[in-house]
Amino acid sequence: MFKSPNQVQTMLVPAGLLMAALVLGAGYVQAEQGTGYYGYGQTATPEQIAGWDIDVRPDGLGLPEGSGTAEDGEWVYEEKCASCHGSFGEGVDGYPSLVGGEGTLSGDGRPHKTIGSYWNYTSTVFDYINRAMPYTAPRSLEPDEVYSLTAYLLFMNYIIDDETFELNQDTLATVRLPNEPNFIPDERPDTANTRCMTDCRDPAAIEIKSQATPSLADELAAEAAETAETVEPPAQLAVVGKSVYDQSCMLCHGSGLAGAPKVGDVAQWQGRVAVGSATLYKHAIEGYQGEAGVMPAKGGFMNLSDDEVKAAVDYMVQESQ
Amino acid sequence: MNKQAELDSLLQQVAVSGEKLTGTDRRDFLRKGLTFLGAATATAAAGHMPTVKAALPPEEPAYGKTLGKPVLFAPYGSPSKYESHVQRRTVEWLTPDRISSISFTPLADLKGIITPSGVMFERYHAGLPDVKPQEHHLMIHGMVERPIILSMDDLMRFPSVSKIHFVECPANGGMEWRGAQMNRLQFSHGMIGCAEWTGVLLSTLLEEVGVKPEGKWILAEGADGSHMSRSIPLEKALDDTLVVYAQNGEMLRPEQGYPVRLVNPGWEGNTSIKWLRRLEVGDQPWYHREETSKYTDLMPDGRSREFTFVQECNSVVTNPCPEKPMMKPGKVWVEGLAWSGRGKIKHVDVSFDGGVTWREAKFTSEVFPRALTRFGLEWDWQGQPAMIQSRAIDETGFVQPTYGQLRAARGENSIYHKNAIHTWKVNADGSVVNVQIS
Repeated sequence: MFKSPNQVQTMLVPAGLLMAALVLGAGYVQAEQGTGYYGYGQTATPEQIAGWDIDVRPDGLGLPEGSGTAEDGEWVYEEKCASCHGSFGEGVDGYPSLVGGEGTLSGDGRPHKTIGSYWNYTSTVFDYINRAMPYTAPRSLEPDEVYSLTAYLLFMNYIIDDETFELNQDTLATVRLPNEPNFIPDERPDTANTRCMTDCRDPAAIEIKSQATPSLADELAAEAAETAETVEPPAQLAVVGKSVYDQSCMLCHGSGLAGAPKVGDVAQWQGRVAVGSATLYKHAIEGYQGEAGVMPAKGGFMNLSDDEVKAAVDYMVQESQ
Repeated sequence: MNKQAELDSLLQQVAVSGEKLTGTDRRDFLRKGLTFLGAATATAAAGHMPTVKAALPPEEPAYGKTLGKPVLFAPYGSPSKYESHVQRRTVEWLTPDRISSISFTPLADLKGIITPSGVMFERYHAGLPDVKPQEHHLMIHGMVERPIILSMDDLMRFPSVSKIHFVECPANGGMEWRGAQMNRLQFSHGMIGCAEWTGVLLSTLLEEVGVKPEGKWILAEGADGSHMSRSIPLEKALDDTLVVYAQNGEMLRPEQGYPVRLVNPGWEGNTSIKWLRRLEVGDQPWYHREETSKYTDLMPDGRSREFTFVQECNSVVTNPCPEKPMMKPGKVWVEGLAWSGRGKIKHVDVSFDGGVTWREAKFTSEVFPRALTRFGLEWDWQGQPAMIQSRAIDETGFVQPTYGQLRAARGENSIYHKNAIHTWKVNADGSVVNVQIS
């Protein structure tokens, strides 16, 4: 149960007296009027709240100032989204597709859930891009970019047909998505099994309908071999290099995203290894414009020390020979 | 010949051959032989120890004839190196990369009901962030009288509680909706862990900030790159939601949300936001991506259930299972885990004949609400093929459903909340396979 404001006030009196007594001896700061029972922490100011309060609701509450159109959004999309989601929103290498799927939600086939076929509110598109996209650089977009990307995705999904329609604080919530009426509350429990103990079914009618691939023995053998190899701890440098690689480099160098040479691809690395470690370190630390793609300085992870970047380069070279 | 007998025989051969050698040669031979057998054992049945004749009485094992390591050899200890096969594992094809992905708890090798923090399943939506506790803050605002920002030190001054609860991803077992697919327990049921969670009741914090009468929902948000967010009804927040900073007696592991996370007992794991930075009180839900596009349950008629929070009653046999095949005929202690998001487990029944007859199992652990509960019963296995199932009943009287019942209600496309009675087929050679039966 909540205490009413009056109750809180009465509780504060003895606490306040106690605090006042402590102030003399130990220098505690007395809880200010208007704090809670414990008075811990600091009051959140409107400016502080505004910095983190990024959420947007279906009715548009929380949308920032700004605006954008599908026309503007196409350029932002090509630059910042298409490498994973595809130029036509089709999705690349397992990353989500953003368009299509109409009519696939019911029936026997595989449902294809996209903004156009499945999502229920336009606000969710804005909120999600603004909170978590682009995948490798969340919270990096300006409000106008988020509005224009949202407009472009609505346009790609045939939700709006005017490339110059301006999405903003007032118009965004007026654009409704087709699947909105098809969400229903939780209906569980929706099964009613009973606790039968004997003669619960006809043994003759039991039939195996499906079975997992029984390749377990091979997998366990491979893992046992791998575990045996890793009993000796690898050198410290390799540990650092692998850890930096896993956290900061793997996304592009593991998959070959954005033209990055793929770790383990000997052919791709041969020429690079030949130019020598010093050059590789320099390119990795300072950034480099190559023929196939761009290596941002430290991969964009400026919090990494030069030594950590070098260790990651060594690790990638070692894994690619 | 069954696997244990096969191994015993191999060991016997090694021991006998070794007798003919002397000194260094013999030690070398034994060492190599045992290494080979160690690998063979792991192949046959990961985790089962071979009976090493040299360590049997009257022989003295080597570690009884030398000094061991000093104290503080490992100021923060690790599991024995001989347990290195007990690891989280992932299924690579599930996600396009490992940054936004999931790994699974190795249930087959775990004991009791507490999941060791180091092998509890991971779920990240934007990778594992490196959060410095001195920099981390929790802001509580919205429809409240007194919006506040708490440092970790501030948060840890509040009265604390410790509770044992499971956290389960609603996609646990989701790959099995269309048919048996995953060939081990770790992958069929491993998106779950159970721990002692220590922190502050969210109700304590909400009382501190004073929720305004119009407040009905809470938005919880993470500090990681995904800023993972979920809307939670105020009723739950005031009931048993915990703002947690410790797990199993130590500060949270980074993988579990260090330095602070939410735990919503019995609810979809994704509502237990990790690296928690913000709680906002509002008068309606936010309908964010992870409660609309994802974590909604598609029904055969094309409609989708939203806010399906509760993880319903479920259970699985953990021994035997594909990773723990039958070793030799005789008395076998069959055991497993049961859990329910609606409260305590009341009964668990086990069938060895595909559900024709059932026997009630014993509880071999404490029984806590919304926690893993361990059950076991004795079985006399004489090498006959069998179909082992477990069926849990919770304190609301809900009986875990069959696949048939679940599909009749929800079809095959709902991804989440698959809690059907699971079948392990035991073959005559002792191997165990994941199957679904009519």
